[in-house]
Amino acid sequence: MSTGLYTQLLDLACGAFLLAAVIVLWVRELTAIVRVFALQGISLAALAVLLGGHEHRWDLVGVGVGIGLLRAGVLPHLMRRALAVLTADRQRYGTAATETRETQPLINVAASLLTAALLTLLAYAVARPLTELHPTPATRALPVGLAVVLIGFFVLVTRRRALSQVVGFLLLDNGITATAFLATSGVPLIVELGVSFDVLLAVLVLQILTTRMREAFGTTDIDDLRELHD
Amino acid sequence: MSTAVGYTAVAGQIVVVGAGAPLLTGWMRQVRARLEGRAGAGVLQPWRDARKLLRKEPISPVGTGPAFRTAPALLVATTVVAAALVPLLSTDTPVSGHADLIVVVALIALGTLVLALAGLDTGTAFGGMGASREMTVAALVEPTILLSVFALSIPAGTTNIPAIVHGAVDEPARLASPAGLLATAALAVAVLAETGRIPVDNPSTHLELTMIHEAMVLEYAGPDLALVELGAQMRLTLLLGLLSSLFVPWGIATSPSWAALAVALVLFAAKLTLLGAVLAAAEVFWAKVRLFRVPELLAGSFLLALLAVTASYFLSGAS
Amino acid sequence: MSPTASALLLTAPAAVPLAVAGAYALAAPRTRTSAAAFAAALTEARQRVPAPGSVLVEEAPEPTNVPQRHWRDWAGLVSPAVVLACGSLLAREVVDGRPRRAYSGLLRADALTAWMLLVVGAVALIACGSAPAYLRGERDAVRASERTVWRYHVLVQAFLGAMCLAVVTANLGVLWVAIEATTIVTAFLVGHRRTRTSVEAAWKYVVICSAGIALAFLGTVLIYYAAREAGIAEAWALDWPTLVAHAGRLDPAVTRLGITLIILGFGAKAGLIPLHAWLPDAHSQAPAPVSALMSGVLLSVAFAAILRYRVIANAALGAGFTRVLLAGIALLTLALAAGLLLAQRDYKRMLAYSSMEHMSLIALAAAIGSPLALSAALLHIAGHGLAKSVAFCASGRILQLTGTARIGRVRGLIAQAPPLAGVFGLAVLALMAFPPFSLFASELGIARAGFAAGTGLSWVTAAALLLVLVAFAALTARTARMLLGPGTPVEESPSGLWPLALGLAAGAALGVATGPLTDLLHAAARAIGG
Repeated sequence: MSTGLYTQLLDLACGAFLLAAVIVLWVRELTAIVRVFALQGISLAALAVLLGGHEHRWDLVGVGVGIGLLRAGVLPHLMRRALAVLTADRQRYGTAATETRETQPLINVAASLLTAALLTLLAYAVARPLTELHPTPATRALPVGLAVVLIGFFVLVTRRRALSQVVGFLLLDNGITATAFLATSGVPLIVELGVSFDVLLAVLVLQILTTRMREAFGTTDIDDLRELHD
Repeated sequence: MSTAVGYTAVAGQIVVVGAGAPLLTGWMRQVRARLEGRAGAGVLQPWRDARKLLRKEPISPVGTGPAFRTAPALLVATTVVAAALVPLLSTDTPVSGHADLIVVVALIALGTLVLALAGLDTGTAFGGMGASREMTVAALVEPTILLSVFALSIPAGTTNIPAIVHGAVDEPARLASPAGLLATAALAVAVLAETGRIPVDNPSTHLELTMIHEAMVLEYAGPDLALVELGAQMRLTLLLGLLSSLFVPWGIATSPSWAALAVALVLFAAKLTLLGAVLAAAEVFWAKVRLFRVPELLAGSFLLALLAVTASYFLSGAS
Repeated sequence: MSPTASALLLTAPAAVPLAVAGAYALAAPRTRTSAAAFAAALTEARQRVPAPGSVLVEEAPEPTNVPQRHWRDWAGLVSPAVVLACGSLLAREVVDGRPRRAYSGLLRADALTAWMLLVVGAVALIACGSAPAYLRGERDAVRASERTVWRYHVLVQAFLGAMCLAVVTANLGVLWVAIEATTIVTAFLVGHRRTRTSVEAAWKYVVICSAGIALAFLGTVLIYYAAREAGIAEAWALDWPTLVAHAGRLDPAVTRLGITLIILGFGAKAGLIPLHAWLPDAHSQAPAPVSALMSGVLLSVAFAAILRYRVIANAALGAGFTRVLLAGIALLTLALAAGLLLAQRDYKRMLAYSSMEHMSLIALAAAIGSPLALSAALLHIAGHGLAKSVAFCASGRILQLTGTARIGRVRGLIAQAPPLAGVFGLAVLALMAFPPFSLFASELGIARAGFAAGTGLSWVTAAALLLVLVAFAALTARTARMLLGPGTPVEESPSGLWPLALGLAAGAALGVATGPLTDLLHAAARAIGG
């Protein structure tokens, strides 16, 4: 693969990765958010496969495929199951629509999008020393990974639905994995396996807790978690 | 010799935009009508409407001042100057050196501004309401247009629009980069907002809840209304032409030759016909977005433009 | 010591608890056949409107064989015993400064490892020793079914295994994985009931800790990047001793960013600002022995990770950066904890904020960084672990006795249950750094080290001591209100209190003289740069 074509494809994958994070901030329906997150997983896998193919490291290609399966297949499936539980007991003309839609985030959508723009600029500024240490096409795209980390944190903090917080946490994790791939072509295999396993278990735990939250509180609105305070 | 071709190109751009705008609007309305199962009024209907309006008595409401009276002429004038500058047919004209991105965007914004001032000048509730809504939209759209064309200017190294288009003709790979794609998306949404099409504004409604552009021009009648309509149609043609020049630049004459100019003319007409048809077909399926959701849409397109600019800084290797 | 013996001593602390957890998992409770009846009873219980403050009662068909239950509960003591044994054997070996390795460097024991293993083992002994009495109380009050108890045992053993793995590994990536694993494993220990408070505490705990730990992973990735660019091979770029040896070659800007993220991320797990909000909720909602383990050792294990990274950062950036960062975080956390202690109305939350206070003192000692300060920090880790676990286990018994967690509703404990009240009072005295308990010696050491380091740190230490005084006053007022006053004696067998008494005795002994542990303490302080 020629360097020019490799750089172009890498840039396209990174662009799609960042765009998916932005669209998560934009749409309201949780089913659409989960679908966009799956697309982001695919672009992350494409990124890893491109890097592995360029450096002729087939273990990296394998890791990329595994990551794609996990983050574009298994994790969205778990979240769809959680969504199905939330809407399972709705009446015929029920109002369960509020459960599957992010109705009123802490910061409204327009301001969130402008904040995402600021966070991208911040990520670019913060990542300059990282890029200057070793300038390659891959490390030049490091701001994308850091921007998705910041956007994930932002989603985690400002969204009201429990599942939106889970999506924010997963965006954070996707961004960190992308940073790892772009900076050093991935961390050692044992660590990568451990991280993937931990993320899978964390999402399982959060899915079970979402169900319990619905049973105990009747809603998955985070703002209703106000029992414990000083 | 070359300057003759150049001047012909400039004149040709003005004539095509001026005369072709009503045709384009008529074509778009016809496509929409056919898709909706209606017979449609025909492609030449906007010409017939203009002729009817021109024959009417010029009249203006009591209490309006120079802002109201000069707005239609100013609108058409700014659009004509912008049409001369933007490289629709050729990138090598005598005025190419002055065709800076910021000048063109400022001219388009000036057109928006004079119409809003006219709306305010009428003193009616609809005029003021339309003007304020238009300014809300413009506040987010102008930066978006600036940023998305700026994103394309970074690889070219200059903000001169003919130079950007020339560079894109030579290096098509630039347009397939993330910066190019994001800039396309952002500019498309911005063009829809600036020209008052669905999903931002419905050009054929007169309901108080929903009209933006129509509210500002509600008090115009006769030849003034004909000029205003022509100005709006010309702006649509110009912006669609800008979109096609930036993102589908092949066919534009880059050298001063009659043959290239002729080819450019034919291709320009074809591109705009296709673009207009696609836009009309899309409008059949889209719904207008509620007014308080419009800032969300525009903020999103602004973000895409900003991402295009930052992406062209760090994803293309430029620093 | 032969390599196989080293490998065995290094593997056992992590492997034995995991094996015990597996054994518990296989010996699932026998109420499976009555699952349908249980589910029916549960739905019926849920439809009854619960009164505010009460717990959801899970009626489960009781198995009739009492002795087998007790045997299962006591089996959990195997793991702490093994951990303590391995810790002592390793301590004897590594005190001369030569670390032991196994599995080509994946597991490694130096003096700090041995010290932390001893602390983990001692606190786990206290917690697992008081678990049978606690679980008996829960079963008698029909608040816990066999299934809940079974899940408790499996998760607590897995928790111990993950913590020991985090302590014995030398690979920074595996360290991260182990600490994240502790979050996941304890999620259902914190949220062991289906009440609103339980679910809320579990949700906040998992979300905030996972987000914080993810930041720590980003920091790890950045350090890995800096190491690879400094020329270290891929297999060794996350190996702690290699990084310490080559730290001078790491790029300063990247390392600075990485260390900030590491301190913020692992600080979230250690209860330091800014991601501390989960701590009071999680530690007050978890069962008492689990709170003891979490407050006593998990916070310290997370901070031990920060201590290890601090060595790398100081070699790469000079001592100033981490000093300012840690001192700032310590002071802010201390101010928050002292302030919120003044307004506390729940005694378990009070103990949780006291944990935050002590962790910030340890962070301050790490910021000062002199040999005296680091030794004092390690002694503080040990003393705090012992005292806090005793306090939490005692508070668990108090909750079972009085049925309320509100300070205002508990009165005259000394009159009601003298042994329990005595143990609780002594534990809180230990936390307030009274002699002869070891927290007095360690806080004195921190203060002396702080005043001996430059003027900036002296002011910080003075402010910290002032805030500690505020916390002292708050704790005294509340504990006195709980213990003193009139009350009727309750029939209470003090036999379940033997682990707590043992813990207090150990804390007092440690406070008088470190005795056989002196060399180990100084070697551990040397290992982290003192």
